[in-house]
Amino acid sequence: MTSAQHSPTRTAVPRIAVPAWAWALALLALFALYLVAQDNGAVLASAGDVAHEFFHDARHSLGMPCH
Amino acid sequence: MAATLEEPRQQTAPRFGPLLGRFALAGLAGGAASGIWAMVVTERTITPALALEEARTAASHEHSEELFSRHTQLLGGFLGTVIAAVVFSVVVAAVFAGVRHRLPGRSDVGRVAVLAAIGFAVFALLPAIKIPANPPAVGDPDTIDTRTAIYIAVLGAGVVTALLVGALVGTLRSRGLHPSAVATAAVLATVALVTAMVLLVPDSPDSISADVPAAVVWDFRLASLGQLAVLWTTLGLTAGYLVDKLARRA
Repeated sequence: MTSAQHSPTRTAVPRIAVPAWAWALALLALFALYLVAQDNGAVLASAGDVAHEFFHDARHSLGMPCH
Repeated sequence: MAATLEEPRQQTAPRFGPLLGRFALAGLAGGAASGIWAMVVTERTITPALALEEARTAASHEHSEELFSRHTQLLGGFLGTVIAAVVFSVVVAAVFAGVRHRLPGRSDVGRVAVLAAIGFAVFALLPAIKIPANPPAVGDPDTIDTRTAIYIAVLGAGVVTALLVGALVGTLRSRGLHPSAVATAAVLATVALVTAMVLLVPDSPDSISADVPAAVVWDFRLASLGQLAVLWTTLGLTAGYLVDKLARRA
């Protein structure tokens, strides 16, 4: 294990250029998950109730708080 | 350029677009595997809880109109799990692209596995310690806002912990510390931060009512944790395999 003493240059893996839209998409995806999982009528009004009941099992089994 | 001679396969970085596609595909796979677990395993632990709910409703002579049949709700459970897994995979894709050059591991299989393990720890293990999953018939509707706030605080604390420990590992490695010393420091820092989270974030205000058998809650919590484990394992291994192939081609 002579190579155990790492110098930062040894593991030089090139950076990936992350476009700004990647982070925007990640946020949008999280918001979509919020609508599916957590929204109890706050954004979607009555449609939220329908979504709530339809995705009820997923919310419980993924460990998200529910009534 | 001597450094690249040791790892000739990873001279160029993959572009983000194809990378995102690989992760999304892995998210679908993770969601499908986890959704099947939901229908086969978790569903068996929900059934006794639903029977309890029905018994309560019958005892109180209330009418509860069910919006969907049980079969439709099972489909919703499957689809909801798939959606959640794809959302996780999109977020993990962006994070992976941002930190790939700093992740440990000789290949992308290892690097993606590290990130998926962190994802499982933050989104499954930490909530299981602090605010564990409950089957239907357990939660108090009046405390849903408090419990949601606790849940989000736990996730936030997990993300902060991952960032701080990652920064610590980066700093110690750049000072040339032996990898075993870096690993020890990372473990100690993680234990300290998780302990602080458990002590500082308030407990769930709910108490489980006496008519709910402990086995119903326990079985459900195990099934739920298993479901999340299947999700993150499948997502991580599939994405690792696909991204590794992509990187070797690049």
